[in-house]
Amino acid sequence: MVIQIVLLGGLVLFSAAAILFRDLLKAAISLAFASLFLGILFFLMKAPYVGAFEISVVAGLITVLFIVTIALTKMEGNVRESRAALWIFPIFFALFLIIDIAVMKSLVGKIPAVESAPESGTFGQALWGLRTFDLVGQIGVILAGVFAVLALFRKRRKDE
Amino acid sequence: MNSAWFLYIGFAAALVFIGLYGLLAMRNLIKLFIGIEVLSKGVSLALVATGFAKSHLLIAQAITVTFIVVEVSVVATALAIIINIYRQTGSLDIRRLTKLKG
Repeated sequence: MVIQIVLLGGLVLFSAAAILFRDLLKAAISLAFASLFLGILFFLMKAPYVGAFEISVVAGLITVLFIVTIALTKMEGNVRESRAALWIFPIFFALFLIIDIAVMKSLVGKIPAVESAPESGTFGQALWGLRTFDLVGQIGVILAGVFAVLALFRKRRKDE
Repeated sequence: MNSAWFLYIGFAAALVFIGLYGLLAMRNLIKLFIGIEVLSKGVSLALVATGFAKSHLLIAQAITVTFIVVEVSVVATALAIIINIYRQTGSLDIRRLTKLKG
């Protein structure tokens, strides 16, 4: 359990750093580290498929997309973040943590554990066999993303 | 197992808080998207932790994989929009988008 708590702490720390770093490149790399920690946590929770997805897609692909965007927009893009937002964050976060811990402590033991039979089958069956029309929706989402990027980077023709 | 689940959910709530704070307090468009990413990490942690605690890990993994696919699609589209906004306005400041023309 100690490893899990260290990983969860690192995840929250790197996520906060990703928000608070003024340098966008450092922020993107902190986000990648946070994803890496989350991926390792998923492996420890015996969820290897989603762990592999988290590390390869979120820590890899999305970080590359962020870094390409940062490079194309010439670093900071002339934006001044408000200084108040940086020093107010620890106060708000500490307040939130106190409330969070109090609520979670009060809830432990009050919510009855739902009895559940152990799962049978494989991950492939859960991913493909138990689902029907939502797969069409997922394919639609992927296609929408592809066509949106193509439409947004469309070049104007010379005769227009 | 129950107390471990509350620990995970507590940390997931902290991640959602950090993401929401980023969305509310930051002005850079890329920073806003990093906020959305942090928020989605909290959601996926909550999904997998609940599946782990209730021994429904396979279905939780299937939902989370779907969620990650949707997340990538959203990020790719949003970053393309951000690049176009930068080309149009020369800045990534969200406040510049409130000035409408036409």
